[in-house]
Amino acid sequence: MAITPSEPVAAAPRRGMNVLFSLTLIGLLLFLWIALGLGTASFWTPLNISNLLRQGAMTAILAVGQTFVIITAGIDLSVGAIVGFSSVILAYLLQAGVPLGIAIALTLLMGIAIGVFHGFGIVRMGLPPFIITLATLTSLRGIGLLITDGSTISITHEGFTAFSRANFLGIPSLFWMVILVAVPAYIFLHLSRWGRYLFAVGSNSEAARLSGVNVNRTIYMAYILSATCAAFVGILLASRIGIGNATQAEGWELQAIASSVIGGTSLFGAVGSIHGPLIGAFILATINNGANLLNVNSFWQRIITGLLIIVIVYFDQLRRRGSR
Amino acid sequence: MTSLEQLAHRHDDSPTITEGNRVPPGSPILELKGLQKNYGYVQALKPATVTFLAGEVHAIVGENGAGKSTLIKLLTGVITRTAGEILWCGHPVALATPNEAIARGINAVHQEVVLCPHLTVAANLFLGDEINRNGLMRKRQMEKTAQAVLDDLGFHLPAAAVLSSLTIGQQQLVATARAAMRGTQFLIFDEPTAYLTRQESAQLFKLIRRLQSEGVTIVYISHRMEEVFELADRVSVLRDGTHVGTRLVGETNETELIALMINRSIDQIYHKEDVPFGETILEARGLSGPGFENVSLSVRSGEIVGLYGLIGAGRSEFALGLYGRHPATAGEIHWMGRKVDIKNERTAMDIGIALAPESRRDQGLCLNLPIGLNINLPVFGRLSRGPVISRGQESANADQQIRNLAIKTPHRNVLVSSMSGGNQQKVVIGKWLSHGARLFIFDEPTVGVDVGTKAEIYRLFATLLKQGAGIILISSYLPEVYELADRLHVFRRGQLVGSHDFHAASHEDVLAEAIGV
Repeated sequence: MAITPSEPVAAAPRRGMNVLFSLTLIGLLLFLWIALGLGTASFWTPLNISNLLRQGAMTAILAVGQTFVIITAGIDLSVGAIVGFSSVILAYLLQAGVPLGIAIALTLLMGIAIGVFHGFGIVRMGLPPFIITLATLTSLRGIGLLITDGSTISITHEGFTAFSRANFLGIPSLFWMVILVAVPAYIFLHLSRWGRYLFAVGSNSEAARLSGVNVNRTIYMAYILSATCAAFVGILLASRIGIGNATQAEGWELQAIASSVIGGTSLFGAVGSIHGPLIGAFILATINNGANLLNVNSFWQRIITGLLIIVIVYFDQLRRRGSR
Repeated sequence: MTSLEQLAHRHDDSPTITEGNRVPPGSPILELKGLQKNYGYVQALKPATVTFLAGEVHAIVGENGAGKSTLIKLLTGVITRTAGEILWCGHPVALATPNEAIARGINAVHQEVVLCPHLTVAANLFLGDEINRNGLMRKRQMEKTAQAVLDDLGFHLPAAAVLSSLTIGQQQLVATARAAMRGTQFLIFDEPTAYLTRQESAQLFKLIRRLQSEGVTIVYISHRMEEVFELADRVSVLRDGTHVGTRLVGETNETELIALMINRSIDQIYHKEDVPFGETILEARGLSGPGFENVSLSVRSGEIVGLYGLIGAGRSEFALGLYGRHPATAGEIHWMGRKVDIKNERTAMDIGIALAPESRRDQGLCLNLPIGLNINLPVFGRLSRGPVISRGQESANADQQIRNLAIKTPHRNVLVSSMSGGNQQKVVIGKWLSHGARLFIFDEPTVGVDVGTKAEIYRLFATLLKQGAGIILISSYLPEVYELADRLHVFRRGQLVGSHDFHAASHEDVLAEAIGV
């Protein structure tokens, strides 16, 4: 069938464009790796690569959770605070003699509860996502500091702290955790109807509602997934640093949002994927890692990250405009 | 001197490109010579030669996708032409930017209101052109002037009100007033009455005639033939990007114009077949809810029940009540003879009600998502095995609806936002055809839809009826419900004020009931 003449030429099929965009991102990541390999002696050492994978893993998991929320045209500012708070909860439970498995389960449950609270605030109280998650951000840090009385709780569980340093099949266990999260997340977002509903709600919630989509449940789901991913990252962080501290993971919410946006997620909702944010997170981790190796002042890393966000999102906008 | 003229003079004081360029009425003000626009290798507008005469009302008609919006965008400088020439007052002009068009006195009032909803009416009227003294805005003076202009135009609108507190129709009038204030010489209206009530349309027509008497050239784009014949001096017809002719309105008729537009005669547009009525599908007994009160009516299988009334009369609210979006607070709904309680949209869908809502943009479609996803949205449950969607069934279902409804698109993954109004409406309908239902509620299914697609939609009604479905058809366009509905109910202020069998009442009677005279 011919294209309707008066309309601008219709956008090319989406999947083709998405693949192209992902390839550009992977290209950028490979370019960084090759450039750093040539520029530094220490980049391609097993130690550094493991380190890079560990650094990127936690941001990547946060970014995946964040992406669910952003696709519904929302935002979750609380994830950094949840990470810190979870580390406190886990350390507190372990200190109280709770067995590790139960402590982890309770911490994840607490993440779910925070997500439910966010959903409640947005759906029932009608608060903007920005506000309710900003409120949680500051209160969770406060509650964490109250529990620990402003100090840190050490974790003495040997097996638990060894986990973050361990490798499995030569790959750091933390990176395996990314795969553990990403595979079900991919199935959920791209292959299940719940994923389609997230996109529909982010595009036009009224149209979704009138098409029989349970909009409220979909919003609850997005925030629960984000908060649970954050609680999971909190557990991984506790394992990595061996303490529970409410002030940890400061600003990680911005890293997560940046990874997601670099990975092609639109802050206006209804555009996003799982692989994009993963690549985005590792691009950011590579820049930080590379900057360390090149002895670039860590303050510069923040500036570079900011510039990168502008450049990548600008090119993404150009691409979208060009495809109309 | 009226306040409108004073304001126009305020602009005359500042030197503009139009100064000294006044054209005597009846001679060419804007000439298009072989004007052409291509998007890639799609010809959106094939070489068109049209002359607009100063002081005339020139209607442009054509199906969706015929090239009308391309033409407007070319004239208002939103897009640049591929080839051809534009003469303004006899001189070739570029019209490369919107600012150039405005500076020359060419303005457009768009179908969708493009104003700031949070500002007051006065602030919107003066936006970008505020009255200042010493760098500070003269808010009270602007409000006073704005009110004077609105009163002068005969619009009963408060200048101090926030724009979003007005109806869409009233906002459209504000947009028109804004264009009228800018010393406009050439004003384009793009389907201005799509969202207007009758009274608002009447006010708008009065304004158009007045602008015309002041020498302004009007281009009027509409799907509604009766408006063309009421307002226009001449009418140009576009078909598939081609300018197929220009006629004096006095020397043509509706049949000829429609034939030019589609090569199809008018009888075939309102397609009604005799389908025998069957059992009662739905019965509302004394139903009340937000925006409607004590409504009783029933729908049988094979029957089209028309709901007519002005916008805001409670028709759409009643539909949303039936559908469980804003559930009824009193009264009963009986479905196939059994009392049901429709608490939410899901219940309505599950018992077999489908709703194609009033606004495609706000309620009907996820615009920035693909056609396929929109069509499949109500049926993903059926397309899934366990948690995972069957990709094959998903594509097959989308493609089937695209084929059945002849939706013009290269692929199911194309975004809905890039389609014309008629094709978008087909996507809304396709969504419900794939879900299936016994009762279809179509709320304003043909607003902003071209004649060809209208005919297709009406034929589809007949098909649904023959399959044993019932239809509730809501429309603000009287001929549509009058010609199609087996039983016509008239709404006014949330209540049912009249019910008639097919053609039992005259147009005038129905209108009188709806307006309440």
